[in-house]
Amino acid sequence: MPSQDLYTRLFHDALTIRRVEERIIELYPFDKIQSPVHLSIGQEAVAVGVCHALRQEDWVFGTYRSHAVYIAKGGDLALMFAELYGKVTGVSEGKAGSMHLAAPEVGMMGSSAVVASSIPHAVGAAFAAKHRQSDQVNVAFFGDGALEEGVAHESLNFASLHNLPLILVCEDNGFAAHSPIESRQKFNRLELLDTYKIPTQRLEDGLDFMKIYEAMSELTAKVRGGGGPQYLEIKTMRAREHVGPGDDFEAGYRSREEFEKWSINDPLIRDTETVALLEAEISQAIDAAVDFAEKSEWPGQAILLTDVV
Amino acid sequence: MTTEIVKYREALFECMDGAMAGNDDAFIIGQGVDDHKGIFGTTLGLAEKYGGGRVLDTPLAEEAVTGISVGAALNGMYPIMTHIRADFMLLATNQIINLVAKYRYMFGGLFKVPMLIRAVVGRSWGQGAQHTQSLQSLFAHIPGLTVIMPSDSSAILGAYPYATNEFAGPVISFEHRLLYELDFKVDREQISKAENPLGSRHLRRGDDITVVATSIMVLEAERAADHLATAGIKCDVIDLNCATSPDSEMIIDSVLRTGRLLIADTSWQAYGVAAEICRLVCETAPSALQAPVVTLGMAPAPCPTAKTLEDLYYPDLHDLCDAICKTVTGAELHGIDLPEKKPMTDTYKHFRGPF
Repeated sequence: MPSQDLYTRLFHDALTIRRVEERIIELYPFDKIQSPVHLSIGQEAVAVGVCHALRQEDWVFGTYRSHAVYIAKGGDLALMFAELYGKVTGVSEGKAGSMHLAAPEVGMMGSSAVVASSIPHAVGAAFAAKHRQSDQVNVAFFGDGALEEGVAHESLNFASLHNLPLILVCEDNGFAAHSPIESRQKFNRLELLDTYKIPTQRLEDGLDFMKIYEAMSELTAKVRGGGGPQYLEIKTMRAREHVGPGDDFEAGYRSREEFEKWSINDPLIRDTETVALLEAEISQAIDAAVDFAEKSEWPGQAILLTDVV
Repeated sequence: MTTEIVKYREALFECMDGAMAGNDDAFIIGQGVDDHKGIFGTTLGLAEKYGGGRVLDTPLAEEAVTGISVGAALNGMYPIMTHIRADFMLLATNQIINLVAKYRYMFGGLFKVPMLIRAVVGRSWGQGAQHTQSLQSLFAHIPGLTVIMPSDSSAILGAYPYATNEFAGPVISFEHRLLYELDFKVDREQISKAENPLGSRHLRRGDDITVVATSIMVLEAERAADHLATAGIKCDVIDLNCATSPDSEMIIDSVLRTGRLLIADTSWQAYGVAAEICRLVCETAPSALQAPVVTLGMAPAPCPTAKTLEDLYYPDLHDLCDAICKTVTGAELHGIDLPEKKPMTDTYKHFRGPF
């Protein structure tokens, strides 16, 4: 059944992301990965639903929390682990680490650790796509906090003014680091988008990658048809601390109960049958990627000063 | 040798037109690029010629426009951004420093973001603290950026086509407003033969003192050299041209020959071009100096608006000649005839009104 195939494909990537993140948590205490990690556990479905609705030649731009987007868009696992390890065989020779993953061969065009700063990049790429009259769609991933930044407003205005082929994907996990939305935003995000004449849609179930995929597929069709920029906001929850491998429910700024209630619907936990079907293959792929990273060489003087200017 | 006269403004226009004609994916974006003034005439008529889709007025959004240029560059376009005042470019500092400068290196060479950012140094008359800054050292400090300061039409006609057609990285050019209406002799054959169009230029040979200058201070250095030649002082004049990669060999060779060094920059001395050239000489050839280095720049304060204060704020030809004479003679009271005290703006300002 084709829809089952699609479900399994998306499930496969979501589970891969989760298992990759879990492997990072296992490795982290050994200082194998000497780079801050912003884990995507809990938010996998957003990346998977969005990226699977895109073509390879469509582009995405990410944030410092982009392991999920990198994997969902088709980035190579071995090159990713080597990059996290800081090895010369990493996707960016060890110069990027966890916060700046990229895979241009599959349309993952970079990720920035400065909040909101990659939004205008997607707008600019969309500007070029329109100039070339290609039907490429460009996607900016960002969190709820990004819309507080000035450059986000500037970008929304420009994208709408020029009717650009762009999809803005807001991952609403409710926190900017540890600050809740109520302490940061007086404005309503969807109303804000309305004032920029950008159509909005909000999905309340950020665990349902099929729903996200469907919504996103409709939006890509709209954008390719000349419909201009679209905004998709997805309610999600991050399982781990803002940065680092642990959970921080004890810190008191959010509740474990609420998260556990949310996780009841998590297909990666509930659908044990599909997990069982995919687990071994995913585990093998991660083993191979980690092994590749372990065995790779460190970068050295030879590349310290390459690609500067 | 055939020379022609080309104004700085005309050279800029020629390069803008050339960049657009030579590359269908080039675009010019900035506040007012398509209006009746056209960035002091340097983009005038180009929107009509190449279409509003490629010569774009922009919302007041310097940071986003810079980020948009990154995205467009990644997607095969060549962005040319204009800032009618360099001071406004500070609104884009996050994108310039955190993204533009790093997009190639940070991703291990996966990407390139070639682009040209034109920033006009607004010094002319009564422009005050936020319309006059010469911010080259701020940006030259950041690895990944190439910062140029063209001092005449030849420098533009050499550097701009190279930047827009061949160079793979982002270039920031500080254009000095006082230079715009000046006539310069241009020898196109010589320009086309230049080995490195972004390199420093050895403009005059002399054995008494090395004068390294930037932007409009190059013109002042040439005038000072002319004046002092009559008194028998021979200046070696180097136009730094590129703040990020000064031709150290050219500078060191010169200082080894003259034993004296004066640096005249358009900005403040502290942590700037003057400090950097001193570092270069001190690290490479400390024993070459027979006299202490002298530097000239703006007074260490924000730029005042009142003409009397402004005239005190910037060094003039008299100050430059005096500094050279003191260094060369080693005497405070050198007795050499100096040009009259006259502010630089009064010499170069060829326009009236607010801009």
